Amino acid sequence: MERGGITRPGVAWIGLLLGLAAGVGLGLFYTWQVDPVIELNTAPWQLNATAREDYVIAIALSYAQNRDLTLAFDRLRAVAPDRNVWQVVADIACARHKSVQIASNSDVVVMRALEQLYSPQGARGCADGQYPTPAPAVFMTPTLTITPATPLQPPATKTPASDPAIPTATPEMIPTSPPTDDRFILARVESYCDPAQEGLLEVRIFDARGQGLRGVPVQVSWGGGQRDQFFTGLKPGREPGYADFQMERGRSYQVSIPGLVSDPRSLEATTCQAGAGGQMATVTASYRVNFQQQAN
Amino acid sequence: MSKRTLGSLLVGVLIGLAAGIYLGWVQFPVEYTNSSMQALAPRYQEEYTVMVSEGYLVDRDVNAALQRLAPLEKQNTPGYIQDLTERYISQSNFPAIPSMVALAEAMGRLTPLMEVYRVPVAPTPTTPGAQ
Repeated sequence: MERGGITRPGVAWIGLLLGLAAGVGLGLFYTWQVDPVIELNTAPWQLNATAREDYVIAIALSYAQNRDLTLAFDRLRAVAPDRNVWQVVADIACARHKSVQIASNSDVVVMRALEQLYSPQGARGCADGQYPTPAPAVFMTPTLTITPATPLQPPATKTPASDPAIPTATPEMIPTSPPTDDRFILARVESYCDPAQEGLLEVRIFDARGQGLRGVPVQVSWGGGQRDQFFTGLKPGREPGYADFQMERGRSYQVSIPGLVSDPRSLEATTCQAGAGGQMATVTASYRVNFQQQAN
Repeated sequence: MSKRTLGSLLVGVLIGLAAGIYLGWVQFPVEYTNSSMQALAPRYQEEYTVMVSEGYLVDRDVNAALQRLAPLEKQNTPGYIQDLTERYISQSNFPAIPSMVALAEAMGRLTPLMEVYRVPVAPTPTTPGAQ
């Protein structure tokens, strides 16, 4: 303060406030623009769209394996804390269905895992029902039903062959059950011996008009409760309804698809004799299995 | 401008600068909202890795698992899986161990420490185009 020409130390409040404002502004500019906090400990909700989609897919796959809905919910909430997490999953499934080419078994498994996560929680999206979940596997006691054909009798005018005829399994038509809506029956089981395709299980799925059906999950189960799943229409150069599986010699397999109304058949990967290079060789039997959709 | 005003201005700037730095670095730091997977906190990176390994148990597709782990941008993904698996074993993190061991085995990184936690591997179906 200044009185009677004497200068005393004091505070010019206007100057102080202006200085404060300028200082805060400079400080924030420096810490937000020039030298911001280094990005560490990022949480899932801070991820970009692509990474967030990867994270949600991982959550869905994890849920498909452990079936822990609470854990999946907690993880999803970390991704989208301010949204309906189930709808987030549905939206991602829809986006993938629209934009991503579903090219492999793994892609189909991802789509099914996403739907299994959001659909029971009431969320809806454009991918609903596009990748159907296979029906539960039915495990039955294996019963070998392949019957060797009766050797053909040579015509009377020809000399009987010295080598005994090699028994081969014959194609067998399976009786069909009464038609029901969108159901499949096991239409044909045929075994064959081919040294070039040992132990191959060929599966073909047809609709009611006889056209191959793409993207149908096929479940194969075998001893010890083991099972695996694959889809039709993913084999390059083969028909849309085709898929195959490599069997191991000596095992018994069962094939099933969603909506199968006829009883599953047990297929034995037994040995058989086949000619290869002028000699007979012991190879693992292969099968052709056809499923047919019943007309409505 | 008087000396008194100038002095007050300088004092205000210094105090304001300190306050601004505190606010910008501590109280209201920059929040990133468009981050890559690589910037995830370690605990979330590890959680993501475990989820990918559980996904591997579902589809048994090691290439798909590698693709899903690629955004983490680890220099050596199999080595990272091996290290994390062995750490979980040493920490007795049992829920995560079986799937991590299965993934490590699929990547050729099964070590003696992991042997006891192995998941029986089922025969794989013929993959498209592999025949």
